[in-house]
Amino acid sequence: MKILAVDDDPIILELLSQFMESVGGHELTTAESGFEALALLEANTGPDFDCFLFDIQMPQMDGVELTRKVKAMKRYADSPVMMLTAMSEKRYIDSVFAAGATDYVTKPFEVSELQARLKLLETHVSKRVVNTKKIFATETLSSFASDEQINKPVQLHEPLSIYDVENVIDHVALENYVAQLSRGALFGSSVFAFSIRKIDEFHANLSPFEFKSLIADAAEIISDTLQGFQFLMAYAGNGTFLCVTDSGWQPDLDKLKDIVNLGFLRTEIYDNSGNRLRARVVVGKTVRLVWKSGNALMEALADAHTSAEQASIQAEREHGSIWLTEQRA
Amino acid sequence: MNDPMSELPGLANVRKRFLVLLEERYSSIAEHALTAWDSEDSAEAVNELGEARDILHKIAGTAGSLGFTALGDKARACELEIIEHFETADLDAAPCPAPLVMNLDGFVEQCKTLIAAQSTATA
Repeated sequence: MKILAVDDDPIILELLSQFMESVGGHELTTAESGFEALALLEANTGPDFDCFLFDIQMPQMDGVELTRKVKAMKRYADSPVMMLTAMSEKRYIDSVFAAGATDYVTKPFEVSELQARLKLLETHVSKRVVNTKKIFATETLSSFASDEQINKPVQLHEPLSIYDVENVIDHVALENYVAQLSRGALFGSSVFAFSIRKIDEFHANLSPFEFKSLIADAAEIISDTLQGFQFLMAYAGNGTFLCVTDSGWQPDLDKLKDIVNLGFLRTEIYDNSGNRLRARVVVGKTVRLVWKSGNALMEALADAHTSAEQASIQAEREHGSIWLTEQRA
Repeated sequence: MNDPMSELPGLANVRKRFLVLLEERYSSIAEHALTAWDSEDSAEAVNELGEARDILHKIAGTAGSLGFTALGDKARACELEIIEHFETADLDAAPCPAPLVMNLDGFVEQCKTLIAAQSTATA
């Protein structure tokens, strides 16, 4: 991989250089500040960087701001960013993920951990190369993405990365975020999911561009609804958005669902032919993350995801039976 | 650290560079701590302690990877102590408490001891 590492401590950069040399197979470029990194990216005429390693605490421009700036570049909007964090910076982790980071590694480094994290990044990068799919909030969709990207088919069950929507992060990043929550944070954390009803019909009847626009609009409506609370969310595929909160907030999901649906009603989403898309969501159950770790945390995400999809199936069934009852009457 | 980066080949030069920088860094920490301690202006004292915290942060982030675990742990403890002081203390009334300065002094001594031990080992 072609990697850009940014840290204001030259010792960290030297350590990373030695590490990369020892591991082999990577090309490392280093910068001592966010400004130097941005200048390097601007001046880079060779192949794009595959991924980034950013320190959080740097003078003038910290790693969070640098991540935002790099992610705002069309070429790098989809590139994974791994943050280099110290234990004392755990409090920044939420904002780091919200800014678009994919993962983090704690300083001082351990060889095995750095190796494992780099391997994950490599997998992430190779998947992206094969299957680059990124969508932006509707207002920037057409200006940012090329026609080819916009019209690239998207599978119904495939997670999509959505950019420029507050607190919406990549699905892989959400999993990494949950995996790193401390025991204390897990105590007040829970996950729940919204599913767009009849998503299979939308997927079958809309063009890839229209479908991606619908998902981006839905992300904006849900994110707007949850503003004021501490949360991160991701589109997990099949019309489902996973939301994780770690502030001890126990949401009233039915009320939230109604507000989101009101948002859909007010947003007035149309397809390219001018037909109004009457999208609505259902919500699954809240799954608390307390006393879970490792695989159990990932199962909790899956549980929340499944419960929202089941709620969607149930809602359609009930809708169908009401319709039959009315017909009989 | 069970798995120190220092086991990687070619790390001797990084360790050497770290020790050279450490000499500059502990001197700066001592200077910032003393200025904070002497200052009658609470804003200045807080600023000086903030500078010391940032240097400690860098030492804590690398010392463990180079096999200087105890030094890294002490740097981290001092850094966290300053952060906690900023978050919980009445900074106008007591911008630079004595126990904090004493701990920084202990850290500076630890740096000196480590540098002396390392130069003896390589002599």
